[in-house]
Amino acid sequence: MAEKTRLLLAAAAFALLAAGPALAAPPKPGPAWAELSAEHQTVLAPLKDSWEQIVPERRRNWIGVAKRYPKMTSIGQKRVQTRMQRWAALTPEQRKQARENYRRISKVPPEKRGDLKEKWSEYQSLPPQERQNAAPPKKKPVPAK
Amino acid sequence: MNELHFAHRIRQLLNQGARLQGPVAERLRAARELALERRRGEAAAGTVLAGNVAGRSGFGSLSLRVIVPLVALGVAFAVTYNWEQKQRAKEVEELDALLLTSDLPIDAYLDRGFEAWLKKRASF
Repeated sequence: MAEKTRLLLAAAAFALLAAGPALAAPPKPGPAWAELSAEHQTVLAPLKDSWEQIVPERRRNWIGVAKRYPKMTSIGQKRVQTRMQRWAALTPEQRKQARENYRRISKVPPEKRGDLKEKWSEYQSLPPQERQNAAPPKKKPVPAK
Repeated sequence: MNELHFAHRIRQLLNQGARLQGPVAERLRAARELALERRRGEAAAGTVLAGNVAGRSGFGSLSLRVIVPLVALGVAFAVTYNWEQKQRAKEVEELDALLLTSDLPIDAYLDRGFEAWLKKRASF
């Protein structure tokens, strides 16, 4: 009996020891602005002043975006530059919501949704009441990632 | 003999116990000793076998047969966990890059009604 308990305890200890680093790894401090490559600093320049306030996970996310930057079209690059600050200033919940909406909108077949920019202007020209009616009833807020 | 009487007789016999004597008792004793002897031999052989398999490389009473699979399991778990975290981070990066370069401004994706309105329009 004692033998069994000891074995179980040791087993649990080993499992924790092995899985520990993944579960309890202290969050690495995100790269400081000075640590970024010159190229990434140029791309992410609009975020320079707020960089220290950005959490490590988001910093790594921005570096990921910066890595994709050279492959974007010139229009895309301009858009990223102008939207960067706004996107960084949103709450995690807002960003989550926006990503979800993006996913849903991109699922609508292009031939059906037509020109998105046109649709957006059309929607914006609707009376506020009508726009409000379009919104689905508020659900319980989901914890943001 | 009714039932109650029968039960009473059995009780009496059990209380007295089986009083075996002579050759029957002697044979039973010998058989019991033989069985015990054999049991001792088996137990000793089992210990030697277990000791050979575990060798001296286990920790205390833990054999490698327990440690190795556990460590492997832990490592596999850690690797999978890390890989999944990285995959998820990559997906978010990809999505953010798409969203930031999209034809629509960020406000369109933050609006609670636009997506539903667009879908309704698309279904006509």
